Amino acid sequence: MTAPDPMTVPFTPPAPSTPPGPAPAPSPPALSCRGLGKRYGDVHAVQDVGFDVAPGEAYGLLGPNGAGKTTTISMLVGLLRPDSGHVRVCGVDLAADPMRAKARIGYVPQEIALYPELTGRENLRFFGRLFGLPRRELAGRIEEVLDLVGLMGRADSRVKTYSGGMKRRINIGTALLHRPDVLILDEPTVGVDPQSRKAILDGVEHLVGEGMSLLYTSHYMEEVERVCDRVAIIDHGRIIAEGTRRELIALVGSADKVELSLDGDVETALAKLRAVEGVIEAAMTGATSIRLLTEGGRHLLPALITAVDGCATVTATQVIEPDLEATFLHLTGSTLRD
Amino acid sequence: MSPRPVLALVAANLRRHARDRVGLFFMVIMPFVSIVFVGMAIGNGTGRLPVGVVAHGSDPVTAALLDELGRRPDLEITRVGSAGDLRSGVRSGELAAGLVIPGDPARLQLVVTRTNGSGLAARSAIDVAVGRVAAVQEATRAAVTAGAAPAQAAVYVRQAQEESGRVAVTGGSAGAADPRGFAYTAPANLLLFTFINSMAVAAALVESRRLGMLQRALTAPVRRASVLLGEALSRFLVALAQAVLIVVVSALVFGVTWGDPLGVAAVVALFALVATGAALLVGTLLNAPDQAPAIGPPLGVVLGMLGGCLWPREASGEVINAIGHLFPHAWGMDALLTLARPGTGLTAVLPQLAVLAGMAALLLGAALALFRRRALTTV
Repeated sequence: MTAPDPMTVPFTPPAPSTPPGPAPAPSPPALSCRGLGKRYGDVHAVQDVGFDVAPGEAYGLLGPNGAGKTTTISMLVGLLRPDSGHVRVCGVDLAADPMRAKARIGYVPQEIALYPELTGRENLRFFGRLFGLPRRELAGRIEEVLDLVGLMGRADSRVKTYSGGMKRRINIGTALLHRPDVLILDEPTVGVDPQSRKAILDGVEHLVGEGMSLLYTSHYMEEVERVCDRVAIIDHGRIIAEGTRRELIALVGSADKVELSLDGDVETALAKLRAVEGVIEAAMTGATSIRLLTEGGRHLLPALITAVDGCATVTATQVIEPDLEATFLHLTGSTLRD
Repeated sequence: MSPRPVLALVAANLRRHARDRVGLFFMVIMPFVSIVFVGMAIGNGTGRLPVGVVAHGSDPVTAALLDELGRRPDLEITRVGSAGDLRSGVRSGELAAGLVIPGDPARLQLVVTRTNGSGLAARSAIDVAVGRVAAVQEATRAAVTAGAAPAQAAVYVRQAQEESGRVAVTGGSAGAADPRGFAYTAPANLLLFTFINSMAVAAALVESRRLGMLQRALTAPVRRASVLLGEALSRFLVALAQAVLIVVVSALVFGVTWGDPLGVAAVVALFALVATGAALLVGTLLNAPDQAPAIGPPLGVVLGMLGGCLWPREASGEVINAIGHLFPHAWGMDALLTLARPGTGLTAVLPQLAVLAGMAALLLGAALALFRRRALTTV
């Protein structure tokens, strides 16, 4: 199969509203943008970017550094005026009613924006006041957020004494105080140790599990694969592909590899496996191992195990699926630059 | 515009300043160190002008003149041996002025330098003293001519003098000298440190910009004007706190008389606005927090020198003082020293207040416009 031209990838912009089934009065997307563009002189930093994040959906914006992710986000949170296009937050037009739109966004900038001389709790109090949380509610909400980001024990230490990971966590907590409808995380794990990174990703998954909408940008493939339901791949300021992880990988069109370890009559098993629908190719790679090339590898496993029933027993399986990394390489002709 | 975001910014900024120990030292300790040491260096706190007198005669006129001069509250009279010593004393600045009373007291000789405010002030004080003695002589002669016995004439004249003494002559004469001691260094250091410490806290503003705090604040449902006002108000309150601290402590501890409270409040508030404008300007133009303490305080010191905040203005000469009046410190000094004189009030310093208000408007206007453009971009 030939690699398609990155610019002609079959990419259909999401329909404005496609509720599954006859849903009554569809709620507007938590975050929606259309035709966003920003130019700096002759450089098109962002061109015709548009996507929807449905309520409760985790949406990833994946692209190399300098692809236009942060510029896009700056326009989404109202820090940068787009040259073209518009942004809606829960149906509220950002340009027309910035106060109401901003109140529903929790934005976590890439750089840690906290007062280092103040404690974690004081920083939270500052942002809680900015978001207009009522005084009597604020103290309780700060406790909740401290608990959520796991910093209860260090709440009264100054932020400048925090580790990088702790700063990242309180930086995220700051954006959660006002219970936003949509959380926007711009590269939240940059420069973070593996332990904190895991804590952050766990926390984000927990929030999404509770129904928060999420826009997550990263140039780390595995984070986006793990956290996001749908992903847009952005490069040179344009969205070049969009869909679920599986849809994107399907763009590459490559098959899954399935490695099987067997006990019993491996020769007969090989012949039987070749006959299973979805298996493209099968080969013995050792006395007790077979490699298959399949379409839809993981879903085929029960059929494969049933097929060899009687002549051999499957003792181990491994499905090697193509990943977003391969898709990205395929679409952009480059790897994710770090 | 909701006051909450503004107050949130002010509270956060003030808390940050309160945690900065070096900054607090410069606000709470340094001004008083400077007031005390410079105050002791430039005067003994009495505020008297040193005047040397050479007097050889012992006639009644000479005695009356010496007595009258000695009674002046603004003069410190020293007897000097010869006219030569007197001249060198005046030349060296040890004496503000000198008076030679020859054997014939009808021809007094005054020794002063022309360029010096103390000399002019001493001269006018001596003029007044001589005038009084002459008036007494004249009145006594008139009484005697009118038929009174000399003793009776002296009684009449003394009565007349006491009557006239009740008519207080206030406001001083044309060349009223600057006070000495703490009365000078307290207002001088108020202006100096209010400005310097405002410049130093500009570092916190640069830091806020560098950290992206202002940008992040704007992603909250907060208007740009609120962020602008919050940042400006934070600096203004620091400047005001510095000024109030110096006024209160110097009044209580050093017995400094500041004068009309309304006038002082107006001068201090306007000067704090000037300092706020300068701090916002510096905080907006600089890009690294370290630059603010490196550039701001030296600038404050230079402006303080030109404005007479580091040493007495009369030591600087006319050119420096004229240049100084291009900047706010000199106008602040003019206003505060005028207010410290008895009998003056807000109306006496209206021109200075107008100049300070103009400077504040100019600086704040420029700073806010620039701050809006450089530090706060949003939809």
